[in-house]
Amino acid sequence: MTQQYSAPSGPEWLQQGLARRRFLKWTLVASAGMTAAAAGGFLWLRRSPLDQQRIPDWAGELSAQEFLLLDRCRRVLLPTEGRDLPDTETVPVVANVQRTLSLMAPALRQQLSQGLGLFDNAAVFRHGCRFVDLDDETAWDYFDRWGRGLVLQRTLATVIKQLLYSAYWRDERTWPALQFDGPVSDRWGLAYLGNAPMPEEQGNVPTGGPE
Amino acid sequence: MTTALWRDSGLAVTQAKDIREPRMDLQADVVVVGSGAGGAVVAYELARRGKRVLVLEAGPYVPSRDFSERFPEAMEQLYQDHGSQTNRSGDLLILQGACVGGSTVVNAGVCFRTPDFILRDWQRDFGLTGLTRDSMRPYFERVEKHLGVHENGEHEIAAHARLIRAGANKLGWSVKPFQRNIRDCALTGHCLSGCKTERKQSMLVSYLPWAVAHGTRIFADTRVTGILTDNGRATGVRAQVTGSDGEPVASVTVTAPRVVLAAGAVQTPLLLLRSGLANGSDQVGRHFACHPSLYVSARYPQPVHAWRGAMLGVYVDEFMAPEDGGFVLEDGGAGIVELSMTAEPGTGAPFMDFMEETRYLAGLVTLIHDHNVGRVRWDGDNKVIDYQLDDIDFPSMKNALKAAARLHLAAGAEQVHVPTSEPLVIRREADIDPMVEGLENQPHHLRMVSYHPQGSCRMGADPATSVVAESGETHEVPGLYIADASLLPTSIIVNPQITVYALATRIAEAIAASA
Repeated sequence: MTQQYSAPSGPEWLQQGLARRRFLKWTLVASAGMTAAAAGGFLWLRRSPLDQQRIPDWAGELSAQEFLLLDRCRRVLLPTEGRDLPDTETVPVVANVQRTLSLMAPALRQQLSQGLGLFDNAAVFRHGCRFVDLDDETAWDYFDRWGRGLVLQRTLATVIKQLLYSAYWRDERTWPALQFDGPVSDRWGLAYLGNAPMPEEQGNVPTGGPE
Repeated sequence: MTTALWRDSGLAVTQAKDIREPRMDLQADVVVVGSGAGGAVVAYELARRGKRVLVLEAGPYVPSRDFSERFPEAMEQLYQDHGSQTNRSGDLLILQGACVGGSTVVNAGVCFRTPDFILRDWQRDFGLTGLTRDSMRPYFERVEKHLGVHENGEHEIAAHARLIRAGANKLGWSVKPFQRNIRDCALTGHCLSGCKTERKQSMLVSYLPWAVAHGTRIFADTRVTGILTDNGRATGVRAQVTGSDGEPVASVTVTAPRVVLAAGAVQTPLLLLRSGLANGSDQVGRHFACHPSLYVSARYPQPVHAWRGAMLGVYVDEFMAPEDGGFVLEDGGAGIVELSMTAEPGTGAPFMDFMEETRYLAGLVTLIHDHNVGRVRWDGDNKVIDYQLDDIDFPSMKNALKAAARLHLAAGAEQVHVPTSEPLVIRREADIDPMVEGLENQPHHLRMVSYHPQGSCRMGADPATSVVAESGETHEVPGLYIADASLLPTSIIVNPQITVYALATRIAEAIAASA
């Protein structure tokens, strides 16, 4: 059986052709150059008219970028037009997300903050603007592509969705349309049964303990 | 022996708000860390024998009447890390109770004895020769009697469970009603938010009140920060009481010749690691398993209302033995917030369409007999749970998923939602194998949840490969015991609460005999 030769793909080929230290040095220099050149353009493109918007007082635990992203996601992920569901202007979706974030461990909260920033800013590379400025169709497609994407993309798409979904559906105004019953014990007048009765013990049962 | 004074409702618990002095020095015969399945049973069994017992619980005391029956609120109030505890990569939610009563307060009441084949594995591979079916029987019988464990009656088989049973019957698969620790189930479907009217016989309404009646004192809001030793022997613990605002209230030192760790499979190894104890063989925190589970929902032509009726009605044990597949399927009720997380129907309108039809959904929970590949450790001040679904377990997960899909379709489902990060729907039998085989074992691809963390301080005869002996005492530190799911040497494939109760009873007996 013959084995057909094929050249390794780009980065692998580069690494094989260069000494490791030299490769790292070149990569760093090249990256720094590209970053410097791109930074100006990126900063220009990531500007959003929404940045001028005043953030509500109640959203004090969110950064401005987080608030704008979550508020845009509220409308993208939970379109209620034409449905028998309360709109997301009525249900405090972003406030509920803020509450959830406030309960997170600091390290996790910090990671999530970085992730939200990445999700918003990464749209610049493909669409020339941040996620918050995408139209609905493009935003839906963005979420769906990230759901099929790399690990980090799948993570962020899933986490953002679950934060927003939980924040919306936990509100009881969303329940009637789904025939969800919510809490029932008080409504049904259920009796409290109290503590279980004390066991009637007969000596130090059981027997045959550890050998 | 103390005179038992039983309260018919509620629990006498010292909370942060009750403490006035900044420092407390307490004495006991036994100090128990954690008030869940293991800690509560040990406390009662020793208190009724006349021991002075103290229970220290890091979580809050929440009386049943304060349960809201709203799952997101319950997560924030009753669960570890307010419901956000995950593995390191964040693709596996690890749910544990963090309140007086621990996970027993927020589980679904399912009671399985440890399968015989698991006990045989433990005898053969870990030298646990005393853990035979016959020797364990009295312990199982005792806790089952105390907790009113009984098989679900027909009225406790909800609409979603009846569908699952019908599908299994059609396929000729073995399906059985669950045994649960429930008294006069009110069929609210809110088990995971705590049983508001005290029907689930959790530790909150059973062993803990009984232990208190025999003189046990319980401190809530009290996190143990270190285990004290003298000449290599356990002598007590130090702890910190913290208020609901996060502010420290008091430091506590408990002097006791017996220390029992029952803080669960995540916190117990962390405490040992922080204390630098019982880890001469580098086994503490290793061999973590957790039954990574999928919730496989399916749409039926008729309304099901998966949130109505007993949450868990029946299970399929056709594939439980390792040679048959090594997984269990459990029917599972769920509310709309939970259902919103289970499937990925697409973004925007497809998702809203899906949610508007949630009343047509029924679900199956898959439990697999996973290998103990995980590790619990510290990274600075941050706890880390290293666990990824192992390639060796991925076939079990796929087989469980295939069986769940097959069962749903046999029961008449029109669509089975594969719980992945991308929209995947199975509509006919022929789609099952190609669609499931196309899945890859990648982080954040499957939507997994763990309800059963276990096995991070395993029990065994050999100190080189285990942390505790069959008696529950650590190999290296006399007087230091473990009595929670962390000592399970392998995952046990079924809901572990009865196993923990039985082992804790046995360990309490050993402690009593040694004192």
